[in-house]
Amino acid sequence: MSDFLVNWLINIPSFAAPFAIAALGLIITERAGVLNLAAEGLMLAGALAGVGLMINGAPPMVALGGAAMAGMAMGLVFAIMTAGLRINHVISGLALVFFAEALTSYIASAERWTNKAIQGLEPVFLGQDVIVYATPVLCLLTVWMLNRTRFGLTLRAVGENPGAADAAGIDVTATRFAAILIGAALIGLAGGYLTVAVSRIWVDSVIGGRGWIAIALVIFARWHPWRALFGAVLFGCIEALIPRIAAAGVDVPRYFLQMTPYLATLAVMIWAAARGKDRWSQPAALGHHHIREERG
Amino acid sequence: MTNALRLNSVSKSFGGFKALDAVDFSVAAGEVHALLGENGAGKSTLMNIACGLYAPDDGQIEMGGQPVTIAGARDAAAKGIGMVHQHFKLVPAFTVLENILLFNPGRPAEQVAQQALTLAQKIGFDIDLGTPAGALGISEQQRLEILKVLVAGARIVILDEPTAVLSEEDGQALMQLVRGLADTGSAVILVTHKLHEALYHSDRITVMRQGRKIAEARPGDMDPARLTELIVGEHIVEEPEPSPHVGGTRIRLDKVRMRGDRGRKGLVDVSFEVKDGEIYGIAGVSGNGQTELAEILMGLGRPDAGTIEIAGHGDVTHAGPAHRRRNGLACIPVDRYRHGLAGGITVADNYAINGALAGRYGNWLWFNRRRARSEARDAIRTFDVQGVRNLGQKAALLSGGNAQKLVIAREFEGQPDVVLAHSPSRGLDVRAGAAVHDRLRAARDRGAAVILISEDLDEVMLLSDRIGVLAGGRLSAEFKAPANRPEIGAAMVSHE
Amino acid sequence: MTQTILPPGAANPAPRNRLRLVPILEPRQSVPDRLRLTIYVASLLLATLISVALLAGAGVPPGDLAKEIATTVFSSPRALGSVLALTAPLVVAGLATAIAFRANFWNIGLEGQMILGAVLSSYVAIHDIGPEFARLPLMAAAAALGGMIWIACPGWLKLKLGVNEVITTLLLNYVAFNLLLHLLYGPWKDPVSSFPYTEQYEAFEKLPLLGWMTLTWALPLAGILALALWWVYSFSRLGFLIDLMRSNATMARAVGVPVLGLSVASILASGAVGGLTGFAISSGIEGRMTQDFFVGYLFSGVLIAFLGRNHPLGVIVVAFFMAVLMQLGQSLQVFFGVPSALVQLVQAVFIICVAASEFFLTYRMNWRSAA
Repeated sequence: MSDFLVNWLINIPSFAAPFAIAALGLIITERAGVLNLAAEGLMLAGALAGVGLMINGAPPMVALGGAAMAGMAMGLVFAIMTAGLRINHVISGLALVFFAEALTSYIASAERWTNKAIQGLEPVFLGQDVIVYATPVLCLLTVWMLNRTRFGLTLRAVGENPGAADAAGIDVTATRFAAILIGAALIGLAGGYLTVAVSRIWVDSVIGGRGWIAIALVIFARWHPWRALFGAVLFGCIEALIPRIAAAGVDVPRYFLQMTPYLATLAVMIWAAARGKDRWSQPAALGHHHIREERG
Repeated sequence: MTNALRLNSVSKSFGGFKALDAVDFSVAAGEVHALLGENGAGKSTLMNIACGLYAPDDGQIEMGGQPVTIAGARDAAAKGIGMVHQHFKLVPAFTVLENILLFNPGRPAEQVAQQALTLAQKIGFDIDLGTPAGALGISEQQRLEILKVLVAGARIVILDEPTAVLSEEDGQALMQLVRGLADTGSAVILVTHKLHEALYHSDRITVMRQGRKIAEARPGDMDPARLTELIVGEHIVEEPEPSPHVGGTRIRLDKVRMRGDRGRKGLVDVSFEVKDGEIYGIAGVSGNGQTELAEILMGLGRPDAGTIEIAGHGDVTHAGPAHRRRNGLACIPVDRYRHGLAGGITVADNYAINGALAGRYGNWLWFNRRRARSEARDAIRTFDVQGVRNLGQKAALLSGGNAQKLVIAREFEGQPDVVLAHSPSRGLDVRAGAAVHDRLRAARDRGAAVILISEDLDEVMLLSDRIGVLAGGRLSAEFKAPANRPEIGAAMVSHE
Repeated sequence: MTQTILPPGAANPAPRNRLRLVPILEPRQSVPDRLRLTIYVASLLLATLISVALLAGAGVPPGDLAKEIATTVFSSPRALGSVLALTAPLVVAGLATAIAFRANFWNIGLEGQMILGAVLSSYVAIHDIGPEFARLPLMAAAAALGGMIWIACPGWLKLKLGVNEVITTLLLNYVAFNLLLHLLYGPWKDPVSSFPYTEQYEAFEKLPLLGWMTLTWALPLAGILALALWWVYSFSRLGFLIDLMRSNATMARAVGVPVLGLSVASILASGAVGGLTGFAISSGIEGRMTQDFFVGYLFSGVLIAFLGRNHPLGVIVVAFFMAVLMQLGQSLQVFFGVPSALVQLVQAVFIICVAASEFFLTYRMNWRSAA
């Protein structure tokens, strides 16, 4: 039994870290008023870049940096669509996910990166790797950036009331571009971590809906970084438990076990909605475009 | 006297529409300059040029006698021009200090806070910098807006329709604040459409109409009638007309009670009745239960206690909107683009809604578009809805006055017994407002019971046969026309 | 009024504010139909160009591509027949999505609804429920029911608690997929081959052949469904009120439109048609339930509804082109070794280009001197 517990506990951080990092990226984007349904696609971009760089001999940290860059590049497309061309945020997000799914799958098969095992990121201390230790630091940095810096103030103003921000001389479009790019880098990093440190292999479905779960996590966390970290650990517990249960020989049908993260996400969304009918914590301008009224 | 700000022969067009045609305007330090005009006269465009949001197509801007270019809102602030917008530019989720900081980039927070407190004291504004802006009352939010531009170093303060959302009392207090600003050497531009503000609280008046400057005068040389004529361009005077015939009770509210949403007051034991052939006006400062009362009358909200009866239909307390409308209720809602029309569908379809719901154009599986269109065409003519190039045009393209006329055309076509009109002339120019008032009187003269909820006391007094005053969610007093204005004003601020 | 005229080269630093040209966005007041069409066609052309370039990059020269398209569709009745056979489920998928989108419900759960539809209709088939002559209608009804069950939860959450339906419908796809795997690797494994698909349906459990090529009744039935929905949206009070609700739900509620009822009906109808999509494939094409019969339909459904502007007749047109694209993708895969993901990539390019064109319909760029 204690074996089971140790095995479970030691695995939680590496399952929780990608959720947490992706959630931080989503929080930064959404606090600027951009509804980000593109997370799954951004994670795919990062995940593939990580694998590709590893296969071509890059060290893990370089691969992770590349993953963040790939997320950012994909994020640029998303930024052009939402903040630039002011396409409906839902359509933009979905289109980007579809685009990223297709592009990553295409590149992976054209480059023959699929199903190729890679070395992976090694633990540094207590069986955990660098990114796990970096996650709370990133969370701290995000909180500090949002609440203590001029850029954070600007970003939140744009997400709460773009009209007011505009009147204060803030460039709403530029701020949203910046927020999307920073957020996309983090989400890409989360995707890269999933392949470089966790799965250590690329298959087309490697993200498996974790981007969507991260979005739900942000709603659950009411756009607050520390609560998102807590939620990520919670989901890490669930995810880490699944292979343990199977390994421990408990007789639960395998595919029902695999449903649990999704069902848990649904439960969490229902819980968040049922208790918080007042949406005071949702950025007030989430999903809204800003156009300065020009009339005579 | 040197002008603090001077706009020389400024012109501005928007896609072929000439919003400003060679307008001269100036304001001096220590002066309150009132800018009057109807919606669309060009006041806002002129002021947006003054605060750097638009660049003029032609003409020059001078400050202190020197030509300048104002490159955006930041530059305007740096040059000492501060604009207080009609729709507040505050972030409700931010604290007072954060709102001020947002407007004052690149300065340390402590210094800004220190200055804000000093200036707040100077304008008599007792404020805690840590309060979220959303938790402030309307008049406090406005003071925060003024404080924001003062901290940014504004010596020229532009106030766009500052009293539009304030109670009479708060409006008076604001006018004193404005005078205080001018006395400390600021130049104040007061954009307004309220005559008495211009006449009693300014040093100079400029009147604009259709993008041109019509007149500039001293308040002492002006009177309300002359000013109205300058603003409107013709002689429109509405006089109260008593009802020709008042019948029996049509609708009765008995001890209606409703909890308010998000800290609003809701309704507390509201009882009144309205008779056939009568306009019952509901006066009060905005936010004292008007929204809740309108929702309850429309059938959108359910009262927590009390009853509503409509003669001939019995108790309708728990009936939904569809049921009430079948029973002869018509509504002119406060926000016509949100509650009155669907902007994305055509003018004809907007008109056809009532007929479709009543089953006039066929059953669930059939919609007689041809008939709907021809009826819409007739109604548009009857109710003088202008600006409809074709019936397939989207309703969002109608101007405020014509959108309201379309709503009225649809609502009045079934000869309703009960009419609810919530601020029916808000945002309309004088002529369009008068046309709406005529329709309401005509409905009353035909025998309908009309409930007029309006935050514009002049409108209530002009139209109503009886007046109820809503204060703090209670019906604090009732008056018969002709009523005494100060008495109503007193009732509006009772029951805090 | 006179304009101030300045001598040339006057020492005045800024007579006019001609600092730099910046684009100013102005919402368009109205869009003429011709402009709408021009922009739409231009965006399709741009997407086509990008797609051709992508394919060229993948090793398919444009000349060969044109030849391949001609062969895929027009070379023989057989080719056209197989494209049309593919069209049927795509029409149904597009309709399922369009019904929801028209009611402002972002149903991204088509794959889950397809799976549940196929699962329930397979249940009817496997357990031989009902007499033979009634088996097919029963299977169809079960499929519709399955789709409705699967959309009911997100629908209820959206209408009752305001939970974002994009995420809930999407998450349920994963749940449905795991359910499918559980059945196919467990109780419903083919007893004959032990492969992970259900046993072959009986002849009377498959949609009957039309008698021309491999076409089944799926195609005319899909067409009838599209025409019926066209009637509803264009010629009925129901459709009129749904469009009103979509344009302004607050106002619709205020004038007494049964908004809740229309939303529930639209959401359930979307789910039901989604379930039928699964039925159309399992019973109309494959004759059994496989583990990947639904793959790609979610995206195709969204794309078809979006490009067809949620109009049932538009859905038919776009679905046909989508079928051509899918067929083309298959033959390119065989003859040029192009990865199958390229089809989805081309689809994504189309959706992004057309979505981007909305910008030019909604806003006008005004290049003017500004501060």
